[in-house]
Amino acid sequence: MALLELSDVQVFYDKIEALKGISLSVEAGRIATLVGANGAGKSTTLRAVSGLIHPRAGTIRYDGTTLAGRQPHEITAMGLVQVPEGRRIFGRLTVEENLAMGAFTRHDRRGIAEDRERLLQLFPRLRERLRQVAGTLSGGEQQMVATARALMARPSMLLMDEPSMGLAPMLVEQVFETIRTINADGVTILLVEQNALMALSIADHGYVLESGRIVLSGPGRDLLDDERVRHAYLG
Amino acid sequence: MKTLTKAATTGLLFGVGGVYLALVGLLEMMQARPIVFGAVNLGQAVLALLALACGVVAARDAGPAFARAGAGLLGGLVAGALMALLQVIVATVPLQGMFIAASPALRNMLAFGFAPGPGALAMLLGGGIGGLAGAVLAVTLPSLRRAIVAGAAAVVIAGVFQELIQLMMQYEGIIGWIRDFVYTWQGLRPQGAVAIFVIAGGTSLVLSHRSSADHVPSPDERRRRRFISAGVALLVLVLMPLLAGAYIGEVLMLVGLYILMGMGLNLEVGLAGLLDLGFVAFFAVGAYTTALLTSGSSIGLLHLSYWEAMPIAVLISILGGVLFGLPVLGVRGDYLAVATLGLGEIVRIVVLSDFAAPLLGGPQGVLDIPKPSIGSFELGSPVKLFYLTLVCAGVAAFIAWRLENSRLGRAWEALRDDEDVAQALGVNLIRSKLLAYGLGAAFAGLGGSIFATMLGSVYPSSFQLLISINVLALIIVGGMGSLPGVVLGAIALIGLPELLREFGEYRYLFYGAALIVMMRWKPEGLWPSEVRSRELHAAAGEAEPVAAMEPG
Repeated sequence: MALLELSDVQVFYDKIEALKGISLSVEAGRIATLVGANGAGKSTTLRAVSGLIHPRAGTIRYDGTTLAGRQPHEITAMGLVQVPEGRRIFGRLTVEENLAMGAFTRHDRRGIAEDRERLLQLFPRLRERLRQVAGTLSGGEQQMVATARALMARPSMLLMDEPSMGLAPMLVEQVFETIRTINADGVTILLVEQNALMALSIADHGYVLESGRIVLSGPGRDLLDDERVRHAYLG
Repeated sequence: MKTLTKAATTGLLFGVGGVYLALVGLLEMMQARPIVFGAVNLGQAVLALLALACGVVAARDAGPAFARAGAGLLGGLVAGALMALLQVIVATVPLQGMFIAASPALRNMLAFGFAPGPGALAMLLGGGIGGLAGAVLAVTLPSLRRAIVAGAAAVVIAGVFQELIQLMMQYEGIIGWIRDFVYTWQGLRPQGAVAIFVIAGGTSLVLSHRSSADHVPSPDERRRRRFISAGVALLVLVLMPLLAGAYIGEVLMLVGLYILMGMGLNLEVGLAGLLDLGFVAFFAVGAYTTALLTSGSSIGLLHLSYWEAMPIAVLISILGGVLFGLPVLGVRGDYLAVATLGLGEIVRIVVLSDFAAPLLGGPQGVLDIPKPSIGSFELGSPVKLFYLTLVCAGVAAFIAWRLENSRLGRAWEALRDDEDVAQALGVNLIRSKLLAYGLGAAFAGLGGSIFATMLGSVYPSSFQLLISINVLALIIVGGMGSLPGVVLGAIALIGLPELLREFGEYRYLFYGAALIVMMRWKPEGLWPSEVRSRELHAAAGEAEPVAAMEPG
């Protein structure tokens, strides 16, 4: 069944219509991706899902319940956690403190410690940098911190906003490899990406967004082969 | 050539600074305060300091020793020339119509008592010698330099605050003997100055020798040292009014109130990052609530005792803080500062208005507020109330410290860094922000409550915008987000100017200069919080060396 379901969601910034009625669904345990050019409405979609902005019309349902009118922290508490765009980490806190902030909603000390250990195995680089101020890390490491911090909340679904942005090609590969690993552990993922080639190649299902509308959707592989997608995004 | 230009420019800069100090009247005013009686006064010391500092700055990065000396000399000469020129102009042109401070007394001071011609020469020479000395000081061994600076600073403190220190030494026996050796009733004796210089300088030498021979202190050790110095500071605070009398008690009382407010605003600005310029409103709420609940006049509502009214005042302040926070929940940064500025003024104007006058007394205020008493012991004097403030500040500090390390504290810090991300991690934005306003207001309300009983009356005019600005300035100077910083900031910005009360009008000059100097050279404050200094150093591109020590 669909874990996350958007139907006919419209978002306005004042009078400008940023999302013109979007419908999409993400199956539990899968990776879905939303690709599109700058300004197509990808981040707006994520902000609507995580409760930072409220749609004017349409419904967003998570795990069967509607998210209408909920505050961001309530949505996080439901297990739907966002990894924000641009690796927005707490730059003056240490890596360790950033991870601790990720578990802000949790109270099970032992579970937190276990998850931390598990994540440090997934990101060995972070173990070396635990006491370092996060703002001094490299771009790739900051992305790791952002991802690990979100996972510390033990989410059932992760919303990832442009995780490959600004990273060197080799690091991009690593990021997508990590996403696959996280997904294999049972976390459902909605991935928003400009890097359509990489995103579609790991996604079970893809949606192409163009000026606030979904213009194409289908299994990731199929979209990769689609002539229109190739023409528009893959060059 | 470049060195020379730089030295000359530095000299010009310091010279202009000196001329400025002279023309606003500060130099002449400082002249009235002796350091060593009959020998050196504060005005002369400031002149000397200007020349020395000019030499130090001019000689910086000037290369080999002789070049440095030359640069210092040139800088000092240029600065001295400007001052000499001022003196000659004051002597020949009647300037007092424009600059009231350009008096014969000022001329006399700038000429060291000589006639205009020889006086100018003396000033020029003095500037040169001062500059040269500054340059030499800049190239001497750091430990020796530190010793000289420490010695000089000790003499200045002992001289400027002689009245106060003598008050504290009103004993017979050994203390009396020391007092008579160091001071006459008018001020510091030359022999006392020499003794203090030698002792302070020597102590500094010994200390710096020991610490350089030792290892670099570990973070643990540094923390322990900080705790010890904080303990000593507390002890001094407790004993000070006993030793130094009522006036110091009053000053400390004021400092204590500002510490309370500073701790409150520190929660809002330092931790939660909510720049609040209307903070005085909460102070007013606390004061007025206390006044209305306890006042014996016709406007008083319940005629409660102070102890009954204080907790209610704090609660009402919290409520006020939450109400204050509601309209500005979605406002960030600069906009928040302006919005809170408006809210703060609204509170003051409402209190002042005819509309609220039947309840709040309008411009006439509320009179006849009783003093608190324990049993039959009334806390009547400022000194006794100071101890009440100290206890309240201690409790408040403990609460603030616990808050800082709590979940709520972490939520605030996360919100301060990035509201969206903090929410995405599960921080309840509305509750956290309202709690920041409410708890911050509780501290200020407590301060206001004590303020009301201290004065025995409250008036709208006591709650000016300037108080908000003072509180903000003291936490910035002390170090954002740092509790000891609040204490240091309050002492430096509220206590010291109060002690130098004859410079009252120039307090804001001191303020401004202190703020600029702090922001330029020590933006993290006098006693920075760990996170804050990290942030500033990270911004400067200094990676922490800790990472290398962690096992992989």
